[in-house]
Amino acid sequence: MNNAIELSNVSWRAGRSFELQDLSLRVPAGSIYGFLGPNGSGKTTTIRMFMGMMKPDRGDISVLGMAVPRDMPRILARVGYVPERPHVYAALTVGEQVKYHSSFFDLWDPGWAQELIERLGLDSDRKISRMSKGETGKLMVLLALAQRPDLLVLDEPTDGLDPVVRRDVLTAILDYVGERTATVFISSHLVHELERICDWVGVMDDGRLVAELPMTQFKNGIKRIRVDDVDEVPVQMPFTLLSRERRNGSSNAETWIVRGWQDPMRQYFDSVGMTLRDVVDLDLEDGFVELLRSSRPQNLYRS
Amino acid sequence: MFRSLLYLHWKQINLPLIPFVLAAYALPLLSVQGLGTPPGMESSTLEAYRIVAGAEIWLPAFPLLAAVIGVTLALSAWNWDHQLGHVHALSLPIPRWRYALLKMGGGATLALLPVAGLWIGAHVATASVDLPTGLNAYPNHLALRFLAATLVAYGVLFAMAAGTVRTTVWIVSGVLGFLILGTVLTDFLVGYFPVFYRVNLAELALEALTRAPGPFQVFTGNWMLIDV
Repeated sequence: MNNAIELSNVSWRAGRSFELQDLSLRVPAGSIYGFLGPNGSGKTTTIRMFMGMMKPDRGDISVLGMAVPRDMPRILARVGYVPERPHVYAALTVGEQVKYHSSFFDLWDPGWAQELIERLGLDSDRKISRMSKGETGKLMVLLALAQRPDLLVLDEPTDGLDPVVRRDVLTAILDYVGERTATVFISSHLVHELERICDWVGVMDDGRLVAELPMTQFKNGIKRIRVDDVDEVPVQMPFTLLSRERRNGSSNAETWIVRGWQDPMRQYFDSVGMTLRDVVDLDLEDGFVELLRSSRPQNLYRS
Repeated sequence: MFRSLLYLHWKQINLPLIPFVLAAYALPLLSVQGLGTPPGMESSTLEAYRIVAGAEIWLPAFPLLAAVIGVTLALSAWNWDHQLGHVHALSLPIPRWRYALLKMGGGATLALLPVAGLWIGAHVATASVDLPTGLNAYPNHLALRFLAATLVAYGVLFAMAAGTVRTTVWIVSGVLGFLILGTVLTDFLVGYFPVFYRVNLAELALEALTRAPGPFQVFTGNWMLIDV
């Protein structure tokens, strides 16, 4: 099994407003895969597809080498899931919720669950309805981790949490991954959060996967370059031009955002009669924003 | 798993269930209150008639209570799952049919509490009445009927509540639509076929459901605690 999650040409439509279009996605086994995208881009829908909660109109899905939805119970026994909104029963106490949840999982580790309760500063006797958002978030992560999953699926797990709780949650997840070779699929729109922990990244926009690449490539491959003497942009280029913008009102001086940049490509500009002024690194957030802009074709040329 | 689901349902329903258990216990006692042959008096046919007539007044209360308990249990069974958008239930590693079955079993088990209340109440009630010759008490029979009626109401509502609000609206609209259409169609057919003068399609459907072997026959059968 090379990929922990694999979606092939998955399509799904919700009325006229939203659709997933021929979505193909591969999450390498053992990776920490960051799933980025603006609100409403289809991240949660995609997760619900491979978690077997929604049925695609078309396409194939496999998780941990098993087919969705055919093998769903076997898959879910090995998947720890933290959904976008807390899915715990408000009238139960932490201890009751843990006990309830554990009864469904054969691999549940009660010792570790207790350790996590203490480590995350939760109180077993505290009623969930009286817990803060941060405490509920910690409980959700605890429930997902204590079942000893091979795959962790986290849908915006730290959304709305304060920095301290966010750090606690991410540390618990990373510690788990460190001690056990699990795959983590983490969806978020907090780009900097993913930058620190992920080794792969997929970017969704408007129901389409606009990029899927290793994080290092994502971080280092998107650049802002300033080019002079631009008369005509060649069709074939060794990198992907995400957007272009005229500079200082000049007709042939432009700023480009490019993807897949490597330093030896500097020579390319001489060969096509253009002058490369400079190459600027973009931080991940800028890269993400530019990638999204470029995924909308009408935005290629910004004046 | 079953114990967990049973506990979850119990946590949700325990407070509303207490008055139901008390009502189920009290109902048979109320139905025999002031009845029976006074000590030292000869039992008579008139007395027997008075007991049966007195018990009959309470007859509608038994199926009504069973239906209310069944409906309450069914709605509470899915209430929390609906609130959480079923996400937790769908992320559990068991087939959906099994989850639904275990959940249904949990509610059915809880239904035994008011049934037990009624059974005890019925025994206490019949023990407190000196029955005239010719009359018999049927506390076990009544408790069994109460259990069956509770489970039928619970089962129907459980199935409906398991679906979306849209599904429930479709089902309810379908039933109401059928009743209205049945009446309208009957009126229309009477104009062409006089034989339909004595037939109402909606009534026929209702009768099919509420008379043996219809599924709701249990609500309309004999609910007498004391009878000949």
